[in-house]
Parts: sequence; C-alpha cells; structure tokens
Amino acid sequence: MNSIKNITFIVTKDCQLACKYCYLVGKNSKERMPWEVAKQAIDYILGHEEDFREESVVWDFIGGEPFLEIELIDKICDYLKTEMFRRNHHWFNSYRFSFSTNGINYDSPKVQEFITKNHEHLSIGITIDGTKRKHDLNRIYKGGAERGSYDDVVRNIPLWLKQFPHGGTKVTISSADIPYIKESVLHLFSLGIREVHINVVFENVWKEDDDKLFGDQLIQLADEIIDGGYYNDYSCSFFSENIGKPLDRVLYNQNWCGAGMMLSVDAAGNFYPCTRFAAYSLRSKKPIIIGNVHDGIDKNKLRPFLTLDRTTQSRQECIDCEVASGCAWCQGENYDAADTATIYQRATAICKMHKARVRANNYYWNKLYRKLELEDMREEFEKSKPKSNDLIC
Amino acid sequence: MLQYLIILLDETSTSFCHYENTRKERNLIPLDVLKKGIRYGMMENLMIQFVFPKYDLPQEYKDEVETIDHSKIKPIADEADVWVADEPAKVDGNVPVVLRVSKEVLFEKENEVVEMLKSVPRLNIVLTDVETFTENDFTRYKSLLERVAAEVERMYVDGKSPQINLLTDRMMLSAMNNCGAGDMSVTLAPNGKFYVCPAFYYENEEDSIGDLEHGLDIRNKQLYKLEYAPICRHCDAYQCKRCVWLNRKTTLEVNTPSHEQCVVAHLERNASKELLRNIRKHGTFLPEKEDIKEIDYLDPFDKRETWQ
Ligand code: SF4
Ligand code: SF4
Repeated sequence: MNSIKNITFIVTKDCQLACKYCYLVGKNSKERMPWEVAKQAIDYILGHEEDFREESVVWDFIGGEPFLEIELIDKICDYLKTEMFRRNHHWFNSYRFSFSTNGINYDSPKVQEFITKNHEHLSIGITIDGTKRKHDLNRIYKGGAERGSYDDVVRNIPLWLKQFPHGGTKVTISSADIPYIKESVLHLFSLGIREVHINVVFENVWKEDDDKLFGDQLIQLADEIIDGGYYNDYSCSFFSENIGKPLDRVLYNQNWCGAGMMLSVDAAGNFYPCTRFAAYSLRSKKPIIIGNVHDGIDKNKLRPFLTLDRTTQSRQECIDCEVASGCAWCQGENYDAADTATIYQRATAICKMHKARVRANNYYWNKLYRKLELEDMREEFEKSKPKSNDLIC
Repeated sequence: MLQYLIILLDETSTSFCHYENTRKERNLIPLDVLKKGIRYGMMENLMIQFVFPKYDLPQEYKDEVETIDHSKIKPIADEADVWVADEPAKVDGNVPVVLRVSKEVLFEKENEVVEMLKSVPRLNIVLTDVETFTENDFTRYKSLLERVAAEVERMYVDGKSPQINLLTDRMMLSAMNNCGAGDMSVTLAPNGKFYVCPAFYYENEEDSIGDLEHGLDIRNKQLYKLEYAPICRHCDAYQCKRCVWLNRKTTLEVNTPSHEQCVVAHLERNASKELLRNIRKHGTFLPEKEDIKEIDYLDPFDKRETWQ
C-alpha cells in the first residue's frame, strides 16, 4: 500500500469572504503564520525522518484563504524542495502541494506564477457550492453588504480546469442545503467539473424529516445522472458501490478518519493530530496539542489516535449495523461532541442521513446496471468507470 | 463490576498510590457524609477501604468506621490492613506495606528496599514518577530488578515466600489484575462526591462522577474496562497497575497508557519470567502455572500491526 502523510500548514485565518457556515466568521482573526514558525516546523519534520516513514507526503495549505499568503507559501514550498533535496529525504521524489481555495484570486499574477513553477506537484480544489443562487446564499464577501462571490469564482473555473483538467470540488451539505443538492451537483457538472466530492456535515444539525428530503434529492439526482448519461465521465461521491454493507467486526475494524496519521501546524507553532483539534475549530472542548515546533511531538499523545479502532469507539448498534460500510465519522467531531474529553466516543448524528444515502445509492446502482445491461454496455462501463474517492474532510 | 468503595476520611488522607496529596489543611469528612457513604456501600454491596490521615481521628469517627466490614489504609502507625510508607525502612508488624518512591530514591536506596521486603508480609512498590523514565532509567531499572530478583530467589531457597508486586505478582497471575479505578472501584471524597480515584479528586474537584444524593454517573464508563483499552487488552504484563489517571495525564485518554508505563511494566514482567525460571531450578514451584513466554517487545504498542 502506498502510504501518504498529510501535513497541514494553517497559514492564515484571514479570508476575503465571510461564509455563513464558517467557524471563523465573527472571530475576526487575522492571525498569520510567521516564516520562522513554518521553517522550524519543516526543520523538525524533515529532521525526524525516522518518525515519518510514509512513502509520500502531501503538504497541505489551509486558511482562512491560503492564497492570501501566496508569498509565504511560495517561500515554504521553495524551502521544502531545497531541504528535501539537500537532506536526500525519501519524500523528495514523492510529494504534492495541496490547496483548497475559494478561487477568488486564482488568476492573480503571483498565484499563477506559483502554479507555473510547481505545476506537476500541485493539487488545487476550488470551492463552489452549486448554482449562483445557492452559492451566493452563503459565500458572501466581508463587510455586511450580502454581496455574493459566485461571479468572481466562476470567472476562474475555465482557467483552473485548463490547468487541472481533473480538478475536483468539495461540497459540504448541512440541513438548509438539502433542497439544492440536485441542482448544485448538476450545475457543477455543467461547469466542466468532473469530480464532485460531497458529504453531509457530521455535526448534529439535522431536523426531523431531513433524511427523507435528502433521500428524495439523491433519487432525483440519480435519475438525472443516469438518464442524462453523466455516469461515464462524471462522478459524484454520494454514489459509491462500496457503501451500505455490514462490516465484519474483526476484518473491518480500522478507524475511519486519519487523525493522528496527519499532522497540522498552526501560526503559534503548535502541532495537532488534525486541524479539527485546534482551538478555532472546536465548540466545547480544549484543543488537543500534541507538541510544538520547539519541543517536537509528544508521542504519548499520539498513541490513542494510532490505536483507535472502529469497534472500541462504536456503540453496539453501530457494530451490528446492516448498512455500516461508508458510514463515516470525524474524530474531531467525535471529540467535540463526546460526553467526556475522549476521542473514543463515536458521534452518530449522521446515522439517519447515512441510511437515506444507502437507500438512494442502492437505487442508483440498480437502475444504472439495469440500463447498461439492456444497452449491452455493462462490461465496457465496468472497465472504464470513473473513480470517486470518498473524501471525508 | 463495581466492588470497592474507597472513602477518604480527610482532605489530608495519606496517598497510597501514584498521585501526590499536597493538601496540608485538615478537613474531616462530615460525619453525616461518612454515614451516608457507609450506607451506600452496604446497599451496593461494596467492600469499603478507608484512607486515614496522619492524625488520630475523633472517637465518633472511629466508632462509625467500625459499623461495617472494611479495610484500613494508614500511614505506618497503629493497627491497619495496609500501611503506606514514603521511605524504605525496616518495619515491625505483620502488615502489608505500600512503598511510594521516586525512581531516584529507589535506585539510591536499593538495599533498604530489600531489607524492607524481608521485614513485611508483602511489599507493594508504587513508583511516583513512572512517566519521567528515560532510556537510561529503563536500563537502571532493569538491572535493579535483576538484583532484587536474585535476593527474592535466595529468600525462596531459604524457605520464605516474600511478596513484592514488581516481581512475584506476575508469577502468580493468569489474567490482568490492574488498579480498576472507575470500573471496580470508586472513591468518595470529603465533599460527598464520587471520583474515579483519589487522584482525580485532588487534581480537579470538578471532575466528579456523581454524589451521594444522586448516585454514580460515570460517563463513558466502558473506557475504564480492559476490553476498551486497545493496547492493554493485547498485553500480558498482568501485574501492571495500568493507572488510568496517569494514562489521562500522559496520553489524554484513560484507556491509553504511556510508552514509559508499558516499558516499566514489561521490564518487571521479564524479570518475573527469569525469577520464575530460576526458582524452578531449585525444585517444583507453582506447578499449575505455565512458564512466562519470551517476547520480543517492551511496549505492546510497537506490535500493533500484528493485532487482528
Ligand atoms: S488510577 Fe488507580 S493506579 Fe492510578 S492513582 Fe488512581 S488508584 Fe492509583
Ligand atoms: S504494560 Fe502497558 S499495555 Fe500492558 S497493561 Fe500495562 S499499561 Fe497496559
């Protein structure tokens, strides 16, 4: 298996937007990572090669809006490349730089220069919520005038797709977004985005009947994708053949989420098992800091993450569940929602939504395969079907 | 299953375990709280362990304590079921002793520890700073255990049967026998509230798990059980304390031990293995027990890839 380490720099908490669902909004933090901290983090990580044995690395930059700090990022990436080479580090031949951006300054000269320079090692995702109506409902500029950002983002999509034809986008669904799921996914397809990674939030936000509405949307979406023939070239991660099966408690006992295999560093130089454990993304618990750039990583604090398995953190109902596969969790949300300060209590707010997804997913594959069989196309489809990775966060 | 109720008779009750009790101001448990605590123990079928302070208790407290079957944990002084010592020294009296020591004191006063062992029916050594062990300390601890084991072997050959938790418990055990706080025992503090163990009370009084009025409310109770401890359930260092309080302090989870805890316990396990082998060279000993296996790790965490 090709193991991958994910290392995240929280480069800034600033952003041009004030999206209504963003946990940073209202906190008005402009905190940015000083170069010294970034450098110390890199020196520590690359200096402890024995503790980072994964074959490859993804250096991830998040914000706020990471491209607001393009100069810092450029400096970090240059330093990373030089240092990985100088140290003859095993990651030198196997690294990527990854970004999730709001896309607003994607075409700025500095960002474009950076892209040209690092193109073959880059993954960039641009966030669009769906149609203009849907996007501008939430993704508005700072300043209180309710000005949506859709036009400024969509303007950059053709350039982005020219540079990254396989560019995907990530959509997160909360209760209020349910009625727009179908139109949003189809809209993203119509913009030329072939991979839509979409999932529902893990937080306990669901209202009564949300699962029914959600199921209806997914069935309508399934019909559109199949009847419209999108399934050959486009993928929407809601539909996946592997979900909705029982899981053997011994054979499938792995943890779902990668917290602890990842590493996140903030502007103060603190290390976290994942960004979700930093103070700014927690509602009610203390941050879990596993070290800092001066003292390094406290390996004892990683032990719970590295030994966590599915059954130890799940209730019996989840262990016995007939449709358990694909039912995801986020360790950070589990921790945030738990009755005590533990990562060992799985939050299950998502349960009814997962079950609705499974039913719609069954419908999708049954309908699609029947159609393909009638058209004598099944074999061909199996050979070349688009892959969709179930990204969870 | 819950079996024990530990009652701290005073704010300054002696520490008998890994935690430090730094409280200096006397504050007896109110008599009515003590009475309710005892009644609670009776109703829940719990064995009560009273933890005494250094000073003599008022007569009405002594009388109350005697209203139930119990054991007494006390600093070395008068009659008790367990004595607690903070220094190794010869002891008079046929009472098991808990010796709380730091690694430095243990390394420096090895001879006194051996003398102490010879003078008591059972010696329970609690290291008060397990979490600070370094590689160098592991090496020193390993050779200390070897030397003490040689003494224990001699004592067996002389027909005695000394008991020292670090070396002889593992020889006798066939399953985990850990502290059990939060699972087999809970603690009643002088404020009338329950805690996982005294350490949780002294660290943060807000951290209670119920009170005498409303009963116990242990959130995520399963996490105190062995089956819910991913590292420990794969382990055979059965004598290990598996201190859930230290676990939380070092790894932030009550069910996950630190590396230091595991290595220390495995050095003890391996020394017990040798001791058992050596005693058997002199004749039949514990014939129903199998040899302790040879293993190639000191921290079960390092073998996690091999767990199912
Ligand atoms: S958790 Fe157990 S071993 Fe640890 S201090 Fe408390 S009683 Fe002692
Ligand atoms: S040695 Fe480690 S794994 Fe074994 S019981 Fe003790 S704490 Fe748990």
